[in-house]
Amino acid sequence: MDKLTEFFLQHALSTILLVPIIAAVIIAFLPNREPLCRILSLIFSLDILLNVLVVIFSKFDPNLTALQYVENYQWFGDTIRFKLATDGLSISMVLLMAILLPVVIIASEPIAKEKPKLYYSMLMMVTTSVLGVFLAQDLFLFFLFWELELIPMYFLIAIWGGANRNYAAMKFLIYTFVAGVCMFAAVLLLYFSSGANTFDMEVLSRYAGSIPHNFQLACFLLFFICFIIKLPSFPFHTWLPDAHVEAPTPVSMLLAGILLKMGGYGIYRICAGFFPNILAELGLWIVILAAVNIVGAAIACLVQDDMKRIIAYSSVSHMGFVLLGVASLTSAGFSGGIFQMFSHGLISAALFMLVGTLYERTHTRQISDYGGMTKYMPKCFYFFTLACMANLALPVLSGFVGESLIFYGAFTSKFFTTFPTTIHFNFGQICVLFSAISVVLTAGYMLWLIQRVFMGPENTKWSKLTDLRTSEIVVLALLLALVVIWGIYPVSLSNLYEPSSTALVSYVSKVVGGL
Amino acid sequence: MIDQILKYSWLIALLPLVSALLIIFFFYFSRKISAFLSIGSVAYGLIHSLYVLYAIYMNSAKHIELNFPWISAGAFKLFVGYLVDPLCAMMLVVVCSVSFFVQVYTYGYMKDDPSYSKFYAYLSLFTFSMLGLVFSTNLFQSYIFWELVGVCSYLLIGFWWYKPSAANACTKAFVVNRVGDAGLLIGLLMLYFSTQNFWNDKITLSFSQLRPAIDFAVHSNVLPIVGIISVTTIALFVLMGPMAKSAQFPLHVWLPDAMEGPTPISALIHAATMVAAGVYLIARCYPLYIVAPVAMSVVAWIGGITAIFSATIALSQYDIKRTLAYSTCSQLGYMVMALGLGAYSAGLFHLMTHAFFKAMLFLCSGSVIIACHHEQDMRHMGGLRKYMPITSMTCLIGVLAISGFPLMSGFWSKDMILASAWEHNKPLFVVGAVSALLTAFYMFRLYFMTFSGNYRGHSHPHETTPSITIPLILLAIPSIFIGLIGSPLIKGGDKFSAFIFYGEHHAHAEWGFNVFLKELMTIQGLIPLAAFLIGTFLAWLVYVKGFPINKFVQDNLKPIYNLSFNKWYIDEIYFWILNKIIFPVYRISWNFVDKVVVDGVFVNGSAFVVSLVGGGLRYIETGRGQLYVLVIFGSVLFALLLLLTRLK
Repeated sequence: MDKLTEFFLQHALSTILLVPIIAAVIIAFLPNREPLCRILSLIFSLDILLNVLVVIFSKFDPNLTALQYVENYQWFGDTIRFKLATDGLSISMVLLMAILLPVVIIASEPIAKEKPKLYYSMLMMVTTSVLGVFLAQDLFLFFLFWELELIPMYFLIAIWGGANRNYAAMKFLIYTFVAGVCMFAAVLLLYFSSGANTFDMEVLSRYAGSIPHNFQLACFLLFFICFIIKLPSFPFHTWLPDAHVEAPTPVSMLLAGILLKMGGYGIYRICAGFFPNILAELGLWIVILAAVNIVGAAIACLVQDDMKRIIAYSSVSHMGFVLLGVASLTSAGFSGGIFQMFSHGLISAALFMLVGTLYERTHTRQISDYGGMTKYMPKCFYFFTLACMANLALPVLSGFVGESLIFYGAFTSKFFTTFPTTIHFNFGQICVLFSAISVVLTAGYMLWLIQRVFMGPENTKWSKLTDLRTSEIVVLALLLALVVIWGIYPVSLSNLYEPSSTALVSYVSKVVGGL
Repeated sequence: MIDQILKYSWLIALLPLVSALLIIFFFYFSRKISAFLSIGSVAYGLIHSLYVLYAIYMNSAKHIELNFPWISAGAFKLFVGYLVDPLCAMMLVVVCSVSFFVQVYTYGYMKDDPSYSKFYAYLSLFTFSMLGLVFSTNLFQSYIFWELVGVCSYLLIGFWWYKPSAANACTKAFVVNRVGDAGLLIGLLMLYFSTQNFWNDKITLSFSQLRPAIDFAVHSNVLPIVGIISVTTIALFVLMGPMAKSAQFPLHVWLPDAMEGPTPISALIHAATMVAAGVYLIARCYPLYIVAPVAMSVVAWIGGITAIFSATIALSQYDIKRTLAYSTCSQLGYMVMALGLGAYSAGLFHLMTHAFFKAMLFLCSGSVIIACHHEQDMRHMGGLRKYMPITSMTCLIGVLAISGFPLMSGFWSKDMILASAWEHNKPLFVVGAVSALLTAFYMFRLYFMTFSGNYRGHSHPHETTPSITIPLILLAIPSIFIGLIGSPLIKGGDKFSAFIFYGEHHAHAEWGFNVFLKELMTIQGLIPLAAFLIGTFLAWLVYVKGFPINKFVQDNLKPIYNLSFNKWYIDEIYFWILNKIIFPVYRISWNFVDKVVVDGVFVNGSAFVVSLVGGGLRYIETGRGQLYVLVIFGSVLFALLLLLTRLK
């Protein structure tokens, strides 16, 4: 027994990656019945969650900032290796994925009536590739997993999506493909210019600082464009509203919940970890970009009439905070950015779920078709209010923790002084203050949404609607319970990644300071 | 014993939270259990907080402060905890007692509402948040609870969500408050930024260390008094929070609309406790204001302008609750003005007395509204004294207290404020005195229109049930007598200022009736009294004797009347700016950016480039699938070739 445990712990990460592949294969051979496929994939997803929890609670030491659970196998010669490892940063993203997956599977029930086998197999494929992105420690492997995610996601939107799904799926494909091309070019550029003769990310990150400045800049920009397409950020954000509007509810949950975080993770891992000098140089521009995202997308939410579009734009706005946190190069900003990714994953999943429940009953997402829904769906109203409050960063809900850490971190950052103004404080701080407008705007669009959908005189057209089903309540209660718990006691989450992110910040400051 | 009472004072805040959670998760089906839990928890809080007040009063040197880390990132740490000092003890008693009376009142007032349990759950949640705000040890924790009371207020204003007016009001209240919160957040960021070296081994942004922190920053030349990031700007940004929460001009617009909520809410949240939180926060951040004279005078003038501005609106409103709401704005203006004038104790003293009599007035208005079958228009009331003697008696006490009838609670606190205005700022004294006159006029107008004359409505008014009248009677007692603790009539003189003060306390050794007479027989003592008499007399003349001054004003001074009646068109101005400027400009620019720049140039432009390239490539390549591959690998190859040539 001991040997078995030992064996598992030595191969824990590859097991986590292997389970969804096995699940996908098994599901492919099942009879084409939805409940069976769903229950099986739910079991597998719970197994993944269990594996992740075992990994976290058995040998994982958050205070150790080095890579843990390293698995390093030869693959294509010595250059391209199959290297998996984790640290605080990646394990928290893996945890988010593991939490979201069962929830998404429960929420899939009404969607997957058509072609259930294919649907759940695709879902498992996405899982493998996303987990692979977070666990890969070889740049080539990272790229492969990054691209692998594209295929099942394209089909999930294109087969189970709404009326205009082909357009949305194609747009998603093209954008992400461009991102992949940028990354591929950057990977090769980095590989050849560094002369390290390996794709090992740990080694490359040490070499990256020594290559010529122009190449560093080019690599950084290519990587950065790739990641902000995924994040998404202005001006590459337009695929997101379309994809969300057309994607089925669980796919939207997955997309907003975890796929966007791949971009954020990449920025942490590669842009900050490999090219701290460039990040510090361009910090100010990134802050401006972040401020444009945060405020611009928030205003965009005010003028939408499609509920899913509002939440999609609000994702753009909230992921802008991650950019702000990274660019601040302070430990509060870094830590806040990770927390923001985590909490946004939970909150946006809950919001998409809620919109999905409404859409499933009414078959319209236009806000003007609603009104006074509280009368018919009181439970939905309570959950919706809670999720909206979390989204507008109400204290004691998790959205607040990330945003306040980022605000404090970004405002106190030393790195925004490259563009000093004649007045007492620097331009970066002006951008941070400008982003603070979003505090008002977010409240405005979220509450206006509640008001138009749930309050006022009821629309008698919907008088036959039923309130939330048990399965929907389970999904929402799970997500929002975590939002509340991590909002009240954030240390329980931040302990997991905090030493890694602080170590990253101190590494960055050391490199930049030694410039 | 005393140590234990202080140490466990967090129970006062915790029990309402527990009762709220119990109601939400287990007892929502039972009205009796919900009411019992909610009232019971706040009754415990009231008793405990009275003990706390006694303990602190007996030994005012005894402060207790405990902090727990909440989150940290590198050197940046945030804490939550609880602080018990004289100011906190006073606020605890005010919040618990008003909350207790309001919850008893709710038992009768809301008895026909289907969501009775939910209402109690929200009330308990609010009580918890408000007590948490009072207990806060640092500005950051205050910000947390500041938002929580805001969201409770949102939920309760929108309690009758099916009314479009309530739905609008709750959104408006939250968004306007968020404007203030954004300012407060910016203030906190600037404050933390300028003093960050100070907090290394201390509780970040704690109230008790605020003064040394600012001195430190000022002396080490990090933080100037006046400048872009300076004590003055920090103080002004922080002030935005209280301006929104305490409904100060120009962020007052949400408070009158908030009257769409049930009346107990108006009494508890929008008269006595939450709206006073702004004043409380200014008092807590006093070290910031003390060193910045410009900020101080801004505070004083905002308070003064609000006091007179809202009083002018209250003159012409017909809705009984809206009249009271504008009166609340006006009285909050007095408190803010007092703090701005440096009269720290006077401002907080008025906060306390106002909490009692204004809560009572709102509860009276609720009683009247119930009796008249949900009629809120005073033109359809009148003569109710006959039908509801208890309500009319308590209402008269409240009216006398707020207009400054000698020896009643409002008299003492308002006089203290006006005396300090006389001392420091004569124009503000005039503003205050005129507002006092207007206050007396519109409060007696309310009283006469509602209770005297003949009944003008169509229903059958009746006195309300004991669960409504008993809280009224019990609140009438502090409304009359609570002011005495700040008066020179009791032994030892002004006890309130000796208990709650900022900096060094100047003891009022003199006391007795002669001292009171001597203070009254000065210009600053007689003018408020005269204002009270004139205002009352005018109201009596117009609304009892039927002397048609109001008709005259309505007919011949139409513009002035319209300004008052239409609330100076502030709402209209805001909505005009929002609808005619912000949205159109935004729509145009966003459409431009999204459609032209992003979709046009980036997406379609790149598609165009691709098709151009593809068009060119079509001669050498036939399949579309290969096109992508070719483009990708071609470009990668190109990059590689470039690189290899450069490396050699």
